[in-house]
Amino acid sequence: MKKLLTRTLTSFTLYALVVLVASIPAYYYLINDIWLEEIDEHNTILADRTQHELRQVVLTNTELAETITLWNKIQPGTNLKKAAPKANPGDSTYTVLKQHPAVQDNELKRFRGLSRIIEINGQPYHLLIETNVEESEEIVMAIAILTFFFFLILVIGFLLLNRRLSVHIWKPFRHTLAELKRFRLSSQAVPVFEPSGTFEFEELNDALQRLIQQNISTYRSQKEFTENASHELQTPMAILKNKLDLLLQKDPVTDRQYQLIEEMNRVLTRVSRINQNLLLLARIENQQFDDHQPIALGLLIQQCLDQLKEHFEHKNLALTSLLQPDTVVKGNKTLIELMVSNLLINTIRHTSPGGIIQLRLTENELCVANSGNQPLNPDTLFRRFSKQVDDSSGSGLGLAIVYEICQSHQWLLHYRFTDGYQQFFVQFDNSKFLLNRSSVLPGN
Amino acid sequence: MGRSLNWPGKFQWMKILIIEDEVDLARSIAEYLADEGYLCSFANTFAQAIQKIEDYTYDCILLDIMLPGGNGMDILEILKLRGLQNGVIIISAKGALDDKIKGLQIGADDYLTKPFHLAELAARIYSLIRRKQFGHSNLVQQHELQIDLLAKTVRVHARSILLTKKEFDLLLYFLGNKNRVISRSTLAEHLSGDFADMLDNHDFVYAHIKNLKKKLSEAGCTNYLKTVYGTGYKWEV
Repeated sequence: MKKLLTRTLTSFTLYALVVLVASIPAYYYLINDIWLEEIDEHNTILADRTQHELRQVVLTNTELAETITLWNKIQPGTNLKKAAPKANPGDSTYTVLKQHPAVQDNELKRFRGLSRIIEINGQPYHLLIETNVEESEEIVMAIAILTFFFFLILVIGFLLLNRRLSVHIWKPFRHTLAELKRFRLSSQAVPVFEPSGTFEFEELNDALQRLIQQNISTYRSQKEFTENASHELQTPMAILKNKLDLLLQKDPVTDRQYQLIEEMNRVLTRVSRINQNLLLLARIENQQFDDHQPIALGLLIQQCLDQLKEHFEHKNLALTSLLQPDTVVKGNKTLIELMVSNLLINTIRHTSPGGIIQLRLTENELCVANSGNQPLNPDTLFRRFSKQVDDSSGSGLGLAIVYEICQSHQWLLHYRFTDGYQQFFVQFDNSKFLLNRSSVLPGN
Repeated sequence: MGRSLNWPGKFQWMKILIIEDEVDLARSIAEYLADEGYLCSFANTFAQAIQKIEDYTYDCILLDIMLPGGNGMDILEILKLRGLQNGVIIISAKGALDDKIKGLQIGADDYLTKPFHLAELAARIYSLIRRKQFGHSNLVQQHELQIDLLAKTVRVHARSILLTKKEFDLLLYFLGNKNRVISRSTLAEHLSGDFADMLDNHDFVYAHIKNLKKKLSEAGCTNYLKTVYGTGYKWEV
């Protein structure tokens, strides 16, 4: 992929090249014409003077013939000889290539000549004046070299300008781009773009701002809808639950009827738990748990383990925990309790009876591991309602909640399967989070 | 105090105000509680609630936070300002997390998230009224069984027996729901508490109840706790 400025630079350079190359013949013809014209003028003046001077002196025919022979010898550029009488075609010019009489090399030179019939002593004479002109290829060469020199100056200029432009003119664009890269829909904050003073960038920023504003409000209203819908469902479920309670208290029911009521109760419990979890997710995303405080995580985990003790015993799970007691993290207590309990409950639920559970808490990492047979799909593991195993007891939202909580604390949550252990890691260190951004699991 | 310690044996009606805009829900609550010896009044709107609080005294107020015409939290503030000693249980559709803390800070005594079981509500009202009105001599006596709610101790024929936290919790739950059929799933929900993604507690309910029954009968207590319909329980007095 090319940079935008490189693209324009290439076009400009090509255009400059075409124009400059086309200018070479134009310059050549122009210079050649001016030159020849000047030389013709020079030859005419010379012919006039020769004619004039030869007419001034009075010579006999013999003297004249001697003088002409001498003239021709000492003036190699001119030639005077007798012409046929009555033939006077007037002045004519021509260009000829021949060896320079005064230079002893074999190179052919270009000459511009003037031929005129002049009358001396009533006799017509043919006067030839030839002047050396620069050869056309030499002119072309000189022009080409000059043109190429200017072309180089242009290209170097383009490159320098380009560098300056890319730094200065594109600065607002880069700023906008950086803001967009940092933008997270869930953070609900509209990015602030720098005023650029450039029409196009202002237009871009305006359009982006409007787009983002719209997205944010759509996102917010969807979240609010989730929250409101969950809320509205709570009361009808409460009524349903209470009616079932009353049904059981009235006149005695049959065992079958009791079983049916009990089954309804269980389903109702599950529905309300899913509902509550959806509500919880919406509220975490809406950042309604912004009360952060330092929390002694080791203690919190220990309390949670105590509460779940009978579940460990019931499934005969071997628990080893290495908890660094002075680990303190900053966060929302309610959410962190939820995160820990969800991770533990998830682990208990998915470990086969007699399995092993390992907990390790260090200064900046919590690892919850349990023995397992096969790796889970890390792409869908933290998505809502993506059940990895056929088990209908959970709400399908436990790990999604853990993921959201980690997101809201800017912690990194990731999963690994090694040596027969399902391992879940929570890294508290923000800098690592940023470095490992590529490995962050997909959210919603 | 002027109230019998053996309530509700002497027909001392306990007055409860249900502030809830959902009439269907309020009626179900009242119907369940009526059999326990509670007298229920209703307030469907914020204004009605304020008026009832001004005009009468209640032993316990069930308060929904979202009301037509106002916020239940404001009612709490008013109660607190007046220095009224009613027990207040918030029943709200709002999540039990930080609203709960806020409600309890303002002065509510308990918080119940919808949907809840009526047995759960009854147990909480029972504990709350005892806590509020019987202060330090908070003893429940039922024939040979004596329970100290404050010290969390249980005596049978004046001999103390040792119960685990969960067993004591279950015993109180039954005392708050005498002669009621409590299904196992209801108890399981009670025991699981606020866990967002709970594990099934059904087996544990059975285990805890079995232990409770065993401890009580070993101490010579009459078997009040009956099993009904296979997996349901009833504290019969």
